[in-house]
Amino acid sequence: MQPATAEELAAAIRSGERNAVDTVEAAFARIDEVDGSVGAFLELWRDEATERAAEIDSRRDEGLPLGPLAGVPTALKDNLSLAGHELNCGSRILAGYRAPYTAGAVERLVAADAVPVGRVNMDEFAMGSSCENSALATTRNPWNLAMAPGGSSGGSAAAVAAAEVPLALGSDTGGSIRQPAAFCGVVGVKPTYGRVSRYGLVAFASSLDQIGPLARNVRDAALALGAIAGPDPRDSTCSEEPAGDFLQPIENGIEGLRVGTIREVRTSALAGDAARGFEQALEALARCGAELVEVSVPLIETAVATYYVLANSEASANLARFDGSRYGHRAAGARSLTEMYTGSRSEGFGPEVKRRIILGTFALSSGYYDAYYGRAARIAGALRQQFTEAFEQAELLVTPTSPGGAFRLGERVDDPLAMYLSDVFTTPTSLAGIPGISVPCGLDSRGLPLGLQILARPFADGTALRAARAFERETGFECRPEPVP
Amino acid sequence: MRRIAELARLRISAREETTFASQLSEIVDYIDQLREFDNGAASLEDSDAASDAADNDIPRPADAAGPADREGPTLLDQFLDNAPASLDRFLLVPQVKATPGGDE
Repeated sequence: MQPATAEELAAAIRSGERNAVDTVEAAFARIDEVDGSVGAFLELWRDEATERAAEIDSRRDEGLPLGPLAGVPTALKDNLSLAGHELNCGSRILAGYRAPYTAGAVERLVAADAVPVGRVNMDEFAMGSSCENSALATTRNPWNLAMAPGGSSGGSAAAVAAAEVPLALGSDTGGSIRQPAAFCGVVGVKPTYGRVSRYGLVAFASSLDQIGPLARNVRDAALALGAIAGPDPRDSTCSEEPAGDFLQPIENGIEGLRVGTIREVRTSALAGDAARGFEQALEALARCGAELVEVSVPLIETAVATYYVLANSEASANLARFDGSRYGHRAAGARSLTEMYTGSRSEGFGPEVKRRIILGTFALSSGYYDAYYGRAARIAGALRQQFTEAFEQAELLVTPTSPGGAFRLGERVDDPLAMYLSDVFTTPTSLAGIPGISVPCGLDSRGLPLGLQILARPFADGTALRAARAFERETGFECRPEPVP
Repeated sequence: MRRIAELARLRISAREETTFASQLSEIVDYIDQLREFDNGAASLEDSDAASDAADNDIPRPADAAGPADREGPTLLDQFLDNAPASLDRFLLVPQVKATPGGDE
């Protein structure tokens, strides 16, 4: 039997059929049972979660209405602020830092009566595709504990796949929600840039970062996105348009909708299991009534290079604030301010963060700015334009989420470029600012999950969710990783 | 690379320098493929796709000091609690002007 969905749990708690306290306790019992092998959680908030659940139960007992996520145990990625709680971003440099305020998306989650149960692992400062760049813990893929869960939201994806929690929040800059969702056999949504407030999310690349949900099925992801999306004056990039209800139209199907494949994707990096899985996914979409068309986005092959210039340039500026003066780690014995900066940063950041800061600093440095940052910004603008044109021929576009299923832990740690190339299908979406959903599309020959990525026009997140739901109904994937039954 | 690391306020060991140099040169080679796709036209910076909501610029209490009768720690308290070193309401840092023999 599959574990109860977030939607079912919330309905049962609202009706009084079950208690939020029992639900939260059951989540902690499951975490105690399996997290020793999965390693998703960095910290559990047992007392506070139980108190919050008790308060939800008593509100219900008083006859007061409860929110759409009533009593749903939820995990937060370690870069999302919850007031009073430690937040490390998977880094030693933020050891001991306590968030003084709560992120906008988390506030909305709690206002919907979800119960944050703890924070989960991630690649340091969200830089990575396997969770191995975390300085704090190793997270394993619940489908095969020798495999990477993907990243950077690897803890979020693993916790959901292992049925520790029905719901987690992650963040996605170049694929950090979608790729781990694909690797772990769960649904991951990177909303349109501006759909969800980034207030209280530790910034990596501000023009690309977006918060989104990971869940075991599309309806739960839609429910969660509806809860966290919407205007927030504290984030100037957050759209002022209300989000609306993503769940209500989700069963409407995709009969007659034009779904585009991208010519350059089908001829490029796609081979083996991923290619076969993708072709089968297209057949399933056709059975759902979608009209398959082919579009061209020639610049898609530049996306990884473009992304790594822009994201790292922004990161080098955003991460300048971690210098040992205001929070986190400070190097001992510095005799000058510069020594303190350099010492704190050198001791606090791990190798991947250093590599990226150096790359970003180089791309922005005098004499190289136009050849690197300027060029990447021009190409990203042209790529965005090509997506706009492609969306004139199709309401949705589909690609595999990743060129393959999960890779082995340790396999790519010494080869950053190989690691970057696993983002080949997710970075274009990020650069275009459009929504992207990864929905499971079966298993590869090793028995590991593959993901289908569904892309939509800006702010058509609901259309992508509707297609993901139709696809899920048609294919009937069940997240049942054997190592954590 | 040493110069770039210095600009980024990072000290890298000799071992890191060797590893990073070969990794970064591979990455930069990969990035250099962008040359052939750059026609100097549209730029992300010119694009209006990202929404940029303007704030009304109305003063709001920042809660930095916090009213004296407010319960619990103020934002300033929490800010200072996070600081590696502070004195009264101020952050403590080493002297700004480098000692002789220090860098820069």
